[in-house]
Amino acid sequence: MSALRPQEKLKPWTDPAAVPYVRIERVTKRFGDFVAVNQVSLDIYKGEAFCLLGPSGCGKTTLLRMLAGFEQPTEGRLFIDGQDMTAIPPYERPVNMMFQSYALFPHMTVVENVGFGLRQDGIPKAEREARVAEILQLVRLTGFDQRKPHQLSGGQRQRVALARSLVKRPKLLLLDEPLGALDKKLREHTQFELINIQETLGVTFVIVTHDQEEAMTLASRIGVMNQGEILQTGTPTDIYEYPTSKYVADFIGSVNMFEGRLVEDEPAHVRIESAELGGTVYVDHGVSSAPDATVWVAVRPEKVRIDRERPDQLDNVFAGTVKEIAYLGDVSRYLVALDSGKLVRVTQPNTDRRDDRVTWEERVWLSWSPSANVVVTQ
Amino acid sequence: MVIVEPVCQRGRDPVVSRPAYLTLGEQFTAALSALLGWGPVRAAQSRLKEWGLTGRVAVTAVPYLWLLVFFLAPFLIVLKISFSSVEIAMPPFAPLVQWASDKVMLVRLNLGNFMFLWEDSLYLSALLNSLKMAAVSTMLALLIGYPMAYGIARSERHWRNILLMLVMLPFWTSFLLRVYAWIGLLGRNSPVNQLLVWLGLIDEPGSLLQTDWAVYIGIVYSYLPFMVLPLYTAIEKLDMTLLEAASDLGCRPTRAFLSITLPLTREGIVAGCMLVFIPATGEFVIPSLLGGPDSLMIGRVLWEEFFNNRDWPVASAVAIVLLLLLVGPIMLFQRAQQAAGGVHR
Ligand SMILES: Nc1ncnc2c1ncn2[C@@H]1O[C@H](COP(=O)(O)OP(=O)(O)OP(=O)(O)O)[C@@H](O)[C@H]1O
Ligand SMILES: [Mg+2]
Repeated sequence: MSALRPQEKLKPWTDPAAVPYVRIERVTKRFGDFVAVNQVSLDIYKGEAFCLLGPSGCGKTTLLRMLAGFEQPTEGRLFIDGQDMTAIPPYERPVNMMFQSYALFPHMTVVENVGFGLRQDGIPKAEREARVAEILQLVRLTGFDQRKPHQLSGGQRQRVALARSLVKRPKLLLLDEPLGALDKKLREHTQFELINIQETLGVTFVIVTHDQEEAMTLASRIGVMNQGEILQTGTPTDIYEYPTSKYVADFIGSVNMFEGRLVEDEPAHVRIESAELGGTVYVDHGVSSAPDATVWVAVRPEKVRIDRERPDQLDNVFAGTVKEIAYLGDVSRYLVALDSGKLVRVTQPNTDRRDDRVTWEERVWLSWSPSANVVVTQ
Repeated sequence: MVIVEPVCQRGRDPVVSRPAYLTLGEQFTAALSALLGWGPVRAAQSRLKEWGLTGRVAVTAVPYLWLLVFFLAPFLIVLKISFSSVEIAMPPFAPLVQWASDKVMLVRLNLGNFMFLWEDSLYLSALLNSLKMAAVSTMLALLIGYPMAYGIARSERHWRNILLMLVMLPFWTSFLLRVYAWIGLLGRNSPVNQLLVWLGLIDEPGSLLQTDWAVYIGIVYSYLPFMVLPLYTAIEKLDMTLLEAASDLGCRPTRAFLSITLPLTREGIVAGCMLVFIPATGEFVIPSLLGGPDSLMIGRVLWEEFFNNRDWPVASAVAIVLLLLLVGPIMLFQRAQQAAGGVHR
């Protein structure tokens, strides 16, 4: 999945002997009666770029703020580098945070803002200036040195905030929506630079983002949050291809979800009957679920084939009528109504130039392979 | 014809010197009336009237009129009196403008009052003493007011209004009464003294009354709300995440206070200090009631000059000098503030 990150990365989370750099142990945070973070346990390893992904208000910032030390967990404990963080104030934690609101000092120039952290550490002036200049070049802000924050654009401010959190080369860097205000090009450049920094300095990142493409690009692993809970953690591929819940399947990318019932339950395959599909689905792996329980089959739109003729496969073939077509250049998107009325999204690459593509109100056959199915029980 | 005659009369002495006359010819008066009757000027006036009907001008005109009527007019009257000389009359000063004949207007500008202020060391030392007392009181009020304002601004929202109410509560009773109350509190047999003796902090009850300390206490007590309110506004406006950011970057709380909180609440500090310093400099009730005979403050001197000596011209001169001494630096300061303050927002 990830475009910039080499696939052959180490995977410390698969190694039971590996010691996590950040350990979050059943942490709960309540504001009055409201539970912002609920029983979250998470291990993050050195050198990881861990992305927290989730809808607005699900507790991502609150979790970061507890790691940075601005909030105390109501329950549970936090460890960084094996040390219990409960009694450690923010200014003594080996952590830097980039704030969602940037929190730039309005009375200081760009250089003073970025150099602030180095000054606190008593870094001599010459070295400080060199490091500030270097990091400003990295975020492409050279020439803005003497501006005050109010003289910068939103994207420039975001880059100052990013530079300020990077310049101290912390062991753990918490980035709260670091690239949201940047245009596509600058965003890709900065993503690339972030990965570079991470790989050269060995920084551990925890990145909050709304943007799943960004999460896919940057993350070694993704944690999907909803309503204060972590629903699933895994590599981008895991999360996309093997979601464990309806919510995760639906949140990452787009998905077709069919409600059904197990009718054949074997260790190596299952068959699910779905009224929405008007037939049964054959799944080429076992499912742990009570017989007769309601389950959902998730199929990604790009895994569905669309044909005029019935393909010669036995299972997972359904007829429908094309309702909508969107030609997007590289791909085309179709909305196909099954006979049950259920709408199915299909994405097909436009691999060759053709004029005889399926068109509106045409009868078509949808099909997918047994391995394209993901069965979730909740 | 207008004749401006600068004279130099001190106190109740007769006029001693008659320097050269400064004459403005009849041409001047004629030219002025000709100018006002000139066509383009008339046209401009009627245009101004047209513009005067627009809402914006009307809205800004009201405060300007207010200032004109209640600040500028009294100021001019006082200025006028400061240039006249004492007379046993009602009011007790000589008119500035006299008609020597039908056509000759005589303006006698008596500069003696101002010379007198300079020559009698009483005024200079009273002024310096006032500035010193006002400065010390302002510092004390700032030291007490800042933590108070900080505490209020950082308390729970529903507490804030109650606490602010408490700060303003003393205004509900008369200022004079409250200063009188301090006489009771600071006197020899006051509960404060007895408490100090009982605690063993002092051997025998002394009286704070009629010392500079009593004046400091009185001023700080009376003007503290004027310090706290602007400070509260400034601190409340301060974004707390800035302090978190500082802390995150390795800054300890004390340093964060000095390098973030203090600079970003500077406007409140300046406003509070001016609101205390300016009235404290001219204060006369508190030094009269709580201070000793040697707590010489310029407001008190002015008061005595005015009511006890009935020397209105000298009293007016004191008032004018005091005003100029305070307004000049304040305006310069405000300028500098604006120049530097623009960068904040
Ligand atoms: N100090 C607080 N007092 C009360 N409720 C709070 C406080 N801080 C956060 N919350 C609540 O906790 C929940 C989680 O907030 P949080 O800021 O962590 O969300 P988020 O996941 O970062 O959202 P977004 O993506 O919009 O930034 C929200 O419902 C928010 O209203
Ligand atoms: Mg957030």
